[in-house]
Amino acid sequence: MNKLLCFITTQQDNPEIVAEEALKGGTGMIQLRHKNASGHDLFTWALSIGKMCRRYGALFIVNDRLDIALAAGADGVHLGQNDLPIDVARKLLPSPAIIGCSVSSVHEALDAQQKGADYIGLGHIFPTGSKQKENAPLGPEYIRTVKQSVDIPLIAIGGIGLDNAREVMSNGADGLAVISAISSAVNPAEAARELAIIIEQT
Amino acid sequence: MPSPGHELPRLYMVTYSRVFSFPEEELPSLVSSAVSRSRIIVQLREKHLDAARLYTLAARLQSAINKSDSLLFINERSDIALAVGANGVHMPEQSCPLSATRAICPGLYTGKSTHSVQSAITAEQEGADYLLFGPVFDTPLKRKYGPPQGVKQLGEICKNVSVPVFAIGGITPENAASCLDEGAYGLAAMSLFASPTNLHRTIESFQTILNHVHHE
Repeated sequence: MNKLLCFITTQQDNPEIVAEEALKGGTGMIQLRHKNASGHDLFTWALSIGKMCRRYGALFIVNDRLDIALAAGADGVHLGQNDLPIDVARKLLPSPAIIGCSVSSVHEALDAQQKGADYIGLGHIFPTGSKQKENAPLGPEYIRTVKQSVDIPLIAIGGIGLDNAREVMSNGADGLAVISAISSAVNPAEAARELAIIIEQT
Repeated sequence: MPSPGHELPRLYMVTYSRVFSFPEEELPSLVSSAVSRSRIIVQLREKHLDAARLYTLAARLQSAINKSDSLLFINERSDIALAVGANGVHMPEQSCPLSATRAICPGLYTGKSTHSVQSAITAEQEGADYLLFGPVFDTPLKRKYGPPQGVKQLGEICKNVSVPVFAIGGITPENAASCLDEGAYGLAAMSLFASPTNLHRTIESFQTILNHVHHE
């Protein structure tokens, strides 16, 4: 896997619009994440964003809802610690389809790798307003610790923006995932472009 | 494993595990007990649970049902239905399209909740194996879906589709016969699980009524 910028959609009514801006800026992977949307809306968005991603040569994955990922023909699914177990999902979604897993410790990272995850999303690295978090941020140095334990790619997430992306990448991350750094930017495509350049250069 | 084409059971129970302190333990034991007496459909519908817990619960229900001729359907999550080897997946009205779900779940029953004649006809065209229609009567659990539709509207649905229609929403042993008279294939209820203490008596009453009125 090349170094990757991943954009996770926000909890808003039309995730397609920002997703396309993110792709224009060079985002390599879009993750559709919307915890309250109906299955109908998720499927509709998955079809249109999936199509968009293919046009830009980017990967498209769905958060949590493997049913939607399968029905819409997504490239993969991203699973949290409270979602379907990775080994269960893997049986329904054989390689080369992608299964990513959210982890926040070396232990969880090893478990994800052992159960067949293709990459881990490690977070949250910095304080973040996008999601309510109970635990303290891991800090960028923790990326090194986890990288020493697992072989699969590590995508860092949580509070990452233009100000600290370089620090994250220089600690060994294989990519980074953002929500608000793109979605809340005045110019989302430009923000994605700048992040993609940092990833490439570090 | 029974698959589409076989005759569906006519009593359809929708889970309501919030009445239990330990749903992962208590619901499977209740289901075991229910399926030991009667051939039923059990629909696992626990929207408050995350997918990890839903999967665990579904797997336990499937093993509780495995040795019986009853069927397990999973609400909406076709991935979980496939993962535990359930018999079917039931789609709420605002769900992933039935046709897309059927494409990834060959061999599973696919059903759909409908609230109008038009949506019932569309669901049948999309390949639904059966429909749930309601709420037929007033019920606190279904008030958010609007006022009761009544047995006449149930009759309209049954006239317009040829797949089995289950009546849902406030169904009791007292009003069940009126639904069957309007052409309903079967009876569905969530309240059966909401008041588990009377489960056996309630199942028995419904079965007596179903045995009395044959579906044509």
